[in-house]
Amino acid sequence: MRFVWFWTFWHWSKESYRSGSLLRSPLHGIGSHWDEWFRHEASENDRQAIEESGRTEPTQRQFIAWLFRHWAREMDWRENRMVPRFVIGQLAHLPPFSQWPAFEKYRTSYGVVGIPALVLAEKSLGEPEDVRAVEAMALPADSAGQAVMPEGFRAEAAEFDAPRLAAKSLLCGKGLLIFLALWITGGRRPYARWLSIALFLGWGAVLGLILFLLAGPEPGNQLFLFSAVLVALWSGLMLAAAVVVARQSFRAWRTGAELSARLEHSQVRLRMNGGLTLKGGSAGLPFCLNTLLALYYARPEAARRSWIWHRFFRKMRSEAESWAGTGVITGDGYLTPVVIEPKLRACLKHDRIRQILTPRQRDASKQTVDHLAETLTVAVEREAKSSHLGMQLGFAAEKPRLRAHGCRHVAHTMMALGGFADKWQMASRVFALVVSAIMLMALADLRSIVLPHPAPIAVAPGSSSPYYLWVSLDTKHPKYFSVVLESDYWSNRRADVKPCGGVTPSVRAEIHLHRLTGMTAANEEDGVVWIERRRRFLTREFHPGERVGRYSIPYLSRLGHE
Amino acid sequence: MSSKIPIEELLRWRVAKAETDAPPAPRAARLLEMARPWWEIWPERFQSFVERLGGIQVAYGHAMAEPGQSRTGHPVPTLIVCPVEELETSVRVLYINVRDGRLRLRFQLDAGAAQDHESFEVTFVSDKPERPLLSAAAILSLESEYCIDTELCEELAHGWEQLKVTDRMPFRLILRSDKDVG
Repeated sequence: MRFVWFWTFWHWSKESYRSGSLLRSPLHGIGSHWDEWFRHEASENDRQAIEESGRTEPTQRQFIAWLFRHWAREMDWRENRMVPRFVIGQLAHLPPFSQWPAFEKYRTSYGVVGIPALVLAEKSLGEPEDVRAVEAMALPADSAGQAVMPEGFRAEAAEFDAPRLAAKSLLCGKGLLIFLALWITGGRRPYARWLSIALFLGWGAVLGLILFLLAGPEPGNQLFLFSAVLVALWSGLMLAAAVVVARQSFRAWRTGAELSARLEHSQVRLRMNGGLTLKGGSAGLPFCLNTLLALYYARPEAARRSWIWHRFFRKMRSEAESWAGTGVITGDGYLTPVVIEPKLRACLKHDRIRQILTPRQRDASKQTVDHLAETLTVAVEREAKSSHLGMQLGFAAEKPRLRAHGCRHVAHTMMALGGFADKWQMASRVFALVVSAIMLMALADLRSIVLPHPAPIAVAPGSSSPYYLWVSLDTKHPKYFSVVLESDYWSNRRADVKPCGGVTPSVRAEIHLHRLTGMTAANEEDGVVWIERRRRFLTREFHPGERVGRYSIPYLSRLGHE
Repeated sequence: MSSKIPIEELLRWRVAKAETDAPPAPRAARLLEMARPWWEIWPERFQSFVERLGGIQVAYGHAMAEPGQSRTGHPVPTLIVCPVEELETSVRVLYINVRDGRLRLRFQLDAGAAQDHESFEVTFVSDKPERPLLSAAAILSLESEYCIDTELCEELAHGWEQLKVTDRMPFRLILRSDKDVG
């Protein structure tokens, strides 16, 4: 067995904790515990073995690799990938590891990136050093410690409550609902490029069919086919969109709930080197975002089931160094304004920061950023000229670029960081929305074509006037039927069926009887009344559809009077 | 004339010079005075510290939702005495071990209270009656964490052997900064 001395130490730490000699758990107090063990408890053999392990840099690296590959996997928290980094980071400051070159890179960093915080030094007007790297790490919870532990800086424990609550809200609460609402209305979907194009073409086809039905040639018998294709296509697109939205929302919620539970049982360690004592809460936003990132670092697999979370974390991790954040955050995730101008200046002077997350406030607008960038460029040029008097200078430096994302809620920052907002998607969503609105208005018309309403029958009341023929129908859809009178005695008439009020209200067509002039063998009871289907699409009326009823005039005249 | 001087002669000359330049050895009475603990030299000062220490109220209000989950230990009332100020605070005992008549103790100061002190002289004061128990040096180990390794008298060793870090500690602390001790 290799590195027995570390097992000896670990066993001592666990036993001392169990027996009540140590307050903190073996993991959370590992630095302090090692210091105690190495000073007072390690045997001569242990010391020799430790010295042997640290003799050369390769053997030191072997120990680090062993911690990652073997020791960490035998612990209860093997699922948490950050534990070995934390352990090495804590040991790196203590003898003999503080003398081991292989531990050098772990002394100031846990090797994870986070969203930098904008914390101004005293009296600073905005310098690159005010952009401070923040690292976050989620460890199993410590029953003797705080839920959030600062490292390398000081802050009141209460300062971390709001960022933590906001992170929980964004994972599985009101914050996530706000994000989902934003994403549903204008967010990027998990479609491949070809599918996006196909869907856009589908929406285009729907609009094309609508225009054809509205203004194209009379479709005749093809009307059913066109209408059916239109309804099917639109329904398919709507269904696909709804399924994707519902599926992704459900997965985001479920994954968020899982991460939220993980946060509940974690201790988040926030590292910001420099030994500052924080005054004010404007680092709340980066703390919140880095708390979320810490959960991802601890167990990236947890986010893979949800496209939304996976994309958010992946983008945040890969682009974290080009972002910076500032904003006082409330427990439910809202951002309140902060001092912004020096922070914008600090970002503009910083060589990596390209995007900044700020609360939505007037002095964080694009105009302000552009003005500051212009001022900085002029100042740099003036300084260069004054320090190279008499020399012809050529300025080829790029103007500092910075994009400010004004956010009201932490959900907006998630939209920005995850790259969910997309103008193309937004445009296609508006297009689909307009098309769908037209479809909804035309849906009843299309339904009467594709799935015709049952044929109505003539019912009472009939007209009491000999000059009128009433054709009352038992239908709830009068506008899709019309009545046609064909007679040799009366002039032929067509009348629309509509709801009528008065003393005898009913859904009926009222035909004004008008006798034909000239000699005819027919009498006043000659004639047939046909019930026809009306086919219409919004403002357009097509040629009449099939005839679904046939009544004689005497039958209709006497209906209700016998 | 040869300028070579044997090294032994040179060393003897250096020792003789050092003895001549050295201050005179303190008298026995002065040595005894110096060996006395500070609370015997300045009893009034000690009494005033003890009174302030007695006034520090450190207690948790337990409002836990789940019993048995917390392992926070009991804060120990502490008075930090510096040349320019005295600060009432508390420390968290992280490790306590009494074995073979030796006390090994680690405690953590509030991050704000521990600024720039590499070491403290720690005086343990019993709760009731309030009397000094022992004095030992505490050395900065990690950030705001100090460790003590000292011998205990038999009585204390016996009494503290069963102490657990989660128990209420039978002492309060006076931390005197090295400057104040000087």
